[in-house]
Amino acid sequence: MTDPNIDFSMVLASAVHDMKNSLGMLLNSLEELRSEYNQTLAGSEKFNMLQYEAERMHNDLVQLLGIYRLGENNLSAHIDEHFVPDFLEEHLARHIPLLQSLGIEYSIAAEDISGFFDEDLLTGVLNNTINNAIRYTRSKICLTARQEDGYLVLGVEDDGQGYPDNMQHSGTPSFKSLDFKSGSTSLGLFFASSVARLHTENDRSGAIRLHNGGALGGGVFEIWLP
Amino acid sequence: MNSPEPKDPVNPFGKLTFLVVDDFENFRLSMRQMLRSCGADRIELVAHATPAIQYCTYNHVDVVLCDYNLGEGKNGQHVLEELRHRKLLKRSSLFLMVTAETSKEMVMGAREYQPDAYLTKPINRAMLEQRLGSLIKQRNALHPITREIDRENYPEAISLCLHALTRQPRYKTWLMKTLGELYFLVGDLAHAQKIYDDVLHQRELSWARLGSCKVLLANRHFDQAVQGIKALIERHPDYMEAYDLLAEGLENQGRSVQAQQVLQKATEHSPNALLRQRHLAELAGTNQDIDTAAEAWRQTVVLGTHSIHDSAEHYLSLAQSLSDLGEGDSEETGAEYSAEAFSVLNRMEKRFSDDPGIGLKSRIVQCRLLAGLGRHREAENVLNSVSSELEGLDDVPVDLTLDFAKTLFRMGRVDQARHILAELAARHENEPDVLQKIENLLDEPVGFRQKLEARGMNRDGIKAFEAGDLNAAVEAFANALEIVPDHAALNLNLVQVLMKQYDLTTDPKLLEACRQRLDRLSRLPVQHRQHRRYVALTRKLKGLTA
Repeated sequence: MTDPNIDFSMVLASAVHDMKNSLGMLLNSLEELRSEYNQTLAGSEKFNMLQYEAERMHNDLVQLLGIYRLGENNLSAHIDEHFVPDFLEEHLARHIPLLQSLGIEYSIAAEDISGFFDEDLLTGVLNNTINNAIRYTRSKICLTARQEDGYLVLGVEDDGQGYPDNMQHSGTPSFKSLDFKSGSTSLGLFFASSVARLHTENDRSGAIRLHNGGALGGGVFEIWLP
Repeated sequence: MNSPEPKDPVNPFGKLTFLVVDDFENFRLSMRQMLRSCGADRIELVAHATPAIQYCTYNHVDVVLCDYNLGEGKNGQHVLEELRHRKLLKRSSLFLMVTAETSKEMVMGAREYQPDAYLTKPINRAMLEQRLGSLIKQRNALHPITREIDRENYPEAISLCLHALTRQPRYKTWLMKTLGELYFLVGDLAHAQKIYDDVLHQRELSWARLGSCKVLLANRHFDQAVQGIKALIERHPDYMEAYDLLAEGLENQGRSVQAQQVLQKATEHSPNALLRQRHLAELAGTNQDIDTAAEAWRQTVVLGTHSIHDSAEHYLSLAQSLSDLGEGDSEETGAEYSAEAFSVLNRMEKRFSDDPGIGLKSRIVQCRLLAGLGRHREAENVLNSVSSELEGLDDVPVDLTLDFAKTLFRMGRVDQARHILAELAARHENEPDVLQKIENLLDEPVGFRQKLEARGMNRDGIKAFEAGDLNAAVEAFANALEIVPDHAALNLNLVQVLMKQYDLTTDPKLLEACRQRLDRLSRLPVQHRQHRRYVALTRKLKGLTA
C-alpha cells in the first residue's frame, strides 16, 4: 500500500534532522567524558573509535541534509570574506582531542589571506575531510591554504596510502558511479563538489581536486573556490 | 587536556568578565572549567534568562556565552534582544550564542539583533580557546570604534573605521559593514551608497546588495530598489532580511497586496520573528484581508510572551480583527470569534494592568462584540460608561478615538461619530496618515465584508464607465452606495456618470439625482482628499442647472 500523501523525502529529512541533533548531544557527552576522565581515556582505542564513528555519522547526516536542501533548491551560498588561517585553526581545533589521543601530528600551513566563501558550507566540507584524513593517515595531517590562479585553495593532506587511482580526478562524482560495495559511498565527495559548485564568481565556479603526493606524500584533497 | 600551544604573552582572557547561561549544570561547570584553563578568571554562571538579564543590569560583562535553548520561558534569542534593546550589553561586549544544532534555522527567526558568533555543541577546550581567542582579539582591536558607537559618537566612529581600513585590513568586512550602517544612521546616504558600491565592485556579496537597496529605498528610488531586492531573493531564497526590505519597497510603490504576499512567504520560511509577523498583520489589515491579519496577530501575541517587543497593542489589534471577523457572521464561527476576542482582551487586561488606559481600550472593543452578539443593553451600558470616561480625558490618543468612532458607528450613533472625527481631523490637519484613517472610517463605517463588497462594485462601475456602458456604471455605483452611502469617492463617481448621461439625454431628473448625491457630502471635511473634487462637481452642477 502506498499513501500518495506521504512525501517520503520530507519524512527522511525530518528523521535525519532528528538523528543529527541526537548525535550532536552524544558527541557533546563524549567530549565531556573525555575531559572528565582524561587520564583513563587517553589513548583508549575503544573510546577513540566511539568518538570517531559518531563524528563520522554526524558528518554524513549533515551532508545528507545539505544534499536534500540542494535538491529542494533551498540551499544557496552566503558568501562573505573570512580570514583563512583563523577559519582553519578553528576547524582543526574541533578534532584536536581525538588527534592527540590517536597520536596523530597536526599542523596548518596557510598564508595570511582572506577568502570569500560560505562559512557554514565549508565547515561541513572541512569536518568531513579531516575526519576522512584521520581514518586514512599514518601519522600526520596538514591543513593548507593558498591563492592560485585567482582561486582560494583549501586543502587537507595526509601521509597515508593516498587515494586509489579511480578516485583521483577533479570532476564531479555522480551518484550513479558510487560503489556501495567498497564501503565508501563518496557521499562526502559528492557534497564537497556540490558545495564547491555553489561558489561562483562571474563565470567561474568552484571545484574539488583529489590527488596524491603533497608535502606529506599521502592523499591530497583540495577545494578550489573562485 | 594539556595543550602545548604557546599562549599570547598577555593572556587575553584574564582581563575580561564572562557570563555563562545554560540550564544544564554540567554544561555550566564544564564551560567554566574550559574558560579557566584558557586563562579566564572572572566567570559568572546562571541557569536561566531572567537571572542573566538581572546580572547584566547591575554588572559589566565583556563576554556572554548563552545557550539558545534554556528550557521553559525565554530562550537565548530573547536574552540577546533584551540585552541589546535595553542597552544592558554594550556594543563592545560580545554575545555568543551556543546552539545544539548545526543549523541556525531556529535561531535565525528574529534578525533585529544578531549574536557576534555562534558556537556549535559539542565544544571542546581547543575550539573554545581558538574561537573565543580570535573573537576577543578582534574585539580588542575594534574596541576604540565600538566604544564610540556605544557613546553614540558616530562621526568619530566613522573616522576611526576609515583609519582602521588601511591599518587593519584583516577586519575589512566588519569595517565596511559597520561603515555602511553608520553612514546610513547619520543620514549620509551618498557615502553609505559608496561603501556598498565599493564592496559590490569587487564582488557580489548579499549583505552589500541589501545595504545598497536599503539606500535606494531611503532615496525613494523605489523601482530600482525593488528590482535589486527581487534579484537578490532569486539568488538567495533563504535570505530573510531581503524579504522584509522587499515588502517595504512594494509598500512604498503602493503595492500593498504584493507586499503582503512577500511577508507571508517569509513567515512560512521563518515564523518566529515577532516584528515580521506584526508587519504582516498590519499590512493584511490595510488590505482588508482580516483572516490573515487575525492569524498574524495571533502569532505576534504568542511570540510576545517572552519578548521585549511584547505590547498591549498586539492583543488589542488581535481582538479588533476578531471582532471584525465576527461582525455580520451569524453562523457559529461568529460566536467563536467573539469568544476568542473576549478571552484575548481579558488576558490583555491582566498582563498589562499597569497601563491605566487599558480597561478603556478593552471596553471599546467589548462594546462592539456585545452588539455583534445581540446583547444590546449591555453594549449600551458599556458605551455610556466609555463615553463619559472619555469626556473627562484631555488628550485622547488618535487610535483610541478612531476605535471609539468605529464603535459609535456600529451602535448607530452616527452623528456623535462624525462629530468626534471632525474634531480629530481639525486637530491633526497636517498629518496625512491620521487624515487617511479618518477618511477611511467616514467613507466606510461598516464591517470589512461589506467594505470589500462595496469596493468590488466600485471597481465594476469604473470598468463599465471606461467601457462606455453608462447604465451598468450607474447601477454598480448605486449598489455600492446602498452599502456605504457616505463614501465620498463613490458618490462623486456616480455624479460624474450621471452628468455624462445628462450630456447625452438632458433629462433633468439626472441633475436632481446629482444634487441628492452631492448634498450627502455637504459636511465633507475640508481636509478630505476628495474635497476639491466635491467642490468642482458642485460648481459644475450649478452651471448645468442655471
